[in-house]
Amino acid sequence: MQTLSFLDFVVIAAYLLGTLGLGLYIGSKIKTGADYFLAGRKLPWWAIGMSLVATDIGAVDIVGTGGAAHQHGLAVANFEWIGCVPAMIIAAFVFIPFFWRSGVTTIPEYMERRFNVAVRSALAVCWIIFMACNLGIMLLASAKMMHVHLGMGVDACIYLTAFLVGIYTISGGLAAVVYTDMIQCVIMIGGCLLVLVLGIIDLGGIDEFQAAIKKQEQVQREKVLIQNQEPEQAGKQVSHTSLILPADADTPFPWTGIFFGLALILSPAYWIGNQAIVQRSLGARSEFDAKAAYVWGALLKNLIPVVVAVPGLIAFVKFPELTDGDQAFPELISHLLPVGLKGLFLAAFLAALMSSIDSYLNSASTIVTHDFYKRFYRRDASDESLLKIGRTVTFLLVLWAIGFSFFLMTRSEGIYTIFQTLMAFFQGPAFAILLTGLLWKRATGVAAFIGFIVGVCFSIMLFTLNQEPVYTALGMDPLFQISEPFLYFSIWAFVVSFSLIVIISLLTKPEPTEKIEGLVFSLKPRKETA
Amino acid sequence: MTPLHHIGNFIRALVVPIPLWCVRALFLGTLIAVFIWVLRLPRENTTPENTTHWYQNLKIWACLALAIQIVIYSIF
Repeated sequence: MQTLSFLDFVVIAAYLLGTLGLGLYIGSKIKTGADYFLAGRKLPWWAIGMSLVATDIGAVDIVGTGGAAHQHGLAVANFEWIGCVPAMIIAAFVFIPFFWRSGVTTIPEYMERRFNVAVRSALAVCWIIFMACNLGIMLLASAKMMHVHLGMGVDACIYLTAFLVGIYTISGGLAAVVYTDMIQCVIMIGGCLLVLVLGIIDLGGIDEFQAAIKKQEQVQREKVLIQNQEPEQAGKQVSHTSLILPADADTPFPWTGIFFGLALILSPAYWIGNQAIVQRSLGARSEFDAKAAYVWGALLKNLIPVVVAVPGLIAFVKFPELTDGDQAFPELISHLLPVGLKGLFLAAFLAALMSSIDSYLNSASTIVTHDFYKRFYRRDASDESLLKIGRTVTFLLVLWAIGFSFFLMTRSEGIYTIFQTLMAFFQGPAFAILLTGLLWKRATGVAAFIGFIVGVCFSIMLFTLNQEPVYTALGMDPLFQISEPFLYFSIWAFVVSFSLIVIISLLTKPEPTEKIEGLVFSLKPRKETA
Repeated sequence: MTPLHHIGNFIRALVVPIPLWCVRALFLGTLIAVFIWVLRLPRENTTPENTTHWYQNLKIWACLALAIQIVIYSIF
């Protein structure tokens, strides 16, 4: 580990103070719940677009994507490319304007209007569990990184980041989150770009980099051949520069999972149904701004794998002996960045971390306040009281995140895998109810509720049956023949949910037309909610 | 072996022999389909009211984002 210089600390301190100052300044302008949760519906497209990208690319992704690229190659970039861009474009022109016009604050709120309160509550519970767990995962990711570079204890690092993010998120709500995210997006891309450029220069240029990857792949093939004495197995080693990998490749990213699981299900579910993402566009100052934000975000997304995944490939060449992929980025920074610039990257890392944590804090707080407190406890709550509740809930979530990150420290599984598995449990079923709710007027509330619950249970069952102690005890083979089959969970859970919704809807009484007017594409929107 | 294993093995046997060039065509075809869909969107869906500049048409930027994707998936 290299020691940070005074200049490094100055850069980090300047970034942290700037972010805090901006967040607190925005917080001083917040007067009502609508200001806090939807930024008073005054956000411009350029800020939302950058915030979307910053939220999606957290510290988890910088460490996890770099690590996955080191271990499995460029195929992990699919998560940012085909796993984002087409869904964002379709969302921009079809779904986001629809949600914006409907005037809802949360996606579960739309579910109650379209279906019933049971569907709303079930979805809200899933989102809260996911967001709460994700907060802990993100804090732990920071701890791993800071432990290597700042020389601070893991505990101290968790407390510090939770304190910083908590202060400005509690104070400024969505507006603070979006505007600080914007700055964080610039710093994050700049910092990662720095690692990329220095890494390629260190390897002697782009041609030398490509040659080094090929050489390293050859070395790995020979290793497999020596260890296994199986030429067939060595031949199955996937290329580190391929985006499309065979269905039977030994990787978590076979094309079947990427196309059917990620591109068709997880990605649209994320960009259309994730509260932390959609909430920004609900706060847009106009319908055009809501659309433009997604298109701007899609353009930026083209750049992200270049600055996040490619450094993982550089680490693959420079440190092929690494067994823990999560150490790829930290090793690169230790070896590549000179004194002075390390501070800039660490600021970028903190930016990535904070931009995701603040978003999930704000959205989780929005769900608790609107979908539980206001819905079940005080339906007549004033806008001012919602502001107080929102801030209190955000504070409690910060405390929870700290506790959960300490719990996670005892786990050894890759950070990225945990994150993806959590999402895969309910993203498929959530997408099934969202899609049928928006596109099919015949879908009923009972069908949506049963389809969602059974779909979630089904994906958890698949996950459980694929755990070695379980299938060994039951005397079975594993259900999936690839490691980390989280993409497949979402496919099957979606198929089960979707099928059930269709079948049960056809067997139950249709929802009254007047109830679902303006909530389904084929039925004209109600003018009073526009 | 559960019924789930049989279903999984059946589907696996169907997809494993598909050559990667076909898969690449599937990925590119999807992106191209979205690209064409964006091109065919009505102008009022992609521009703000009282538009005065060409760059205010979101169709251009959406197509650019998708074109970059098409190039990337053609190469890698």
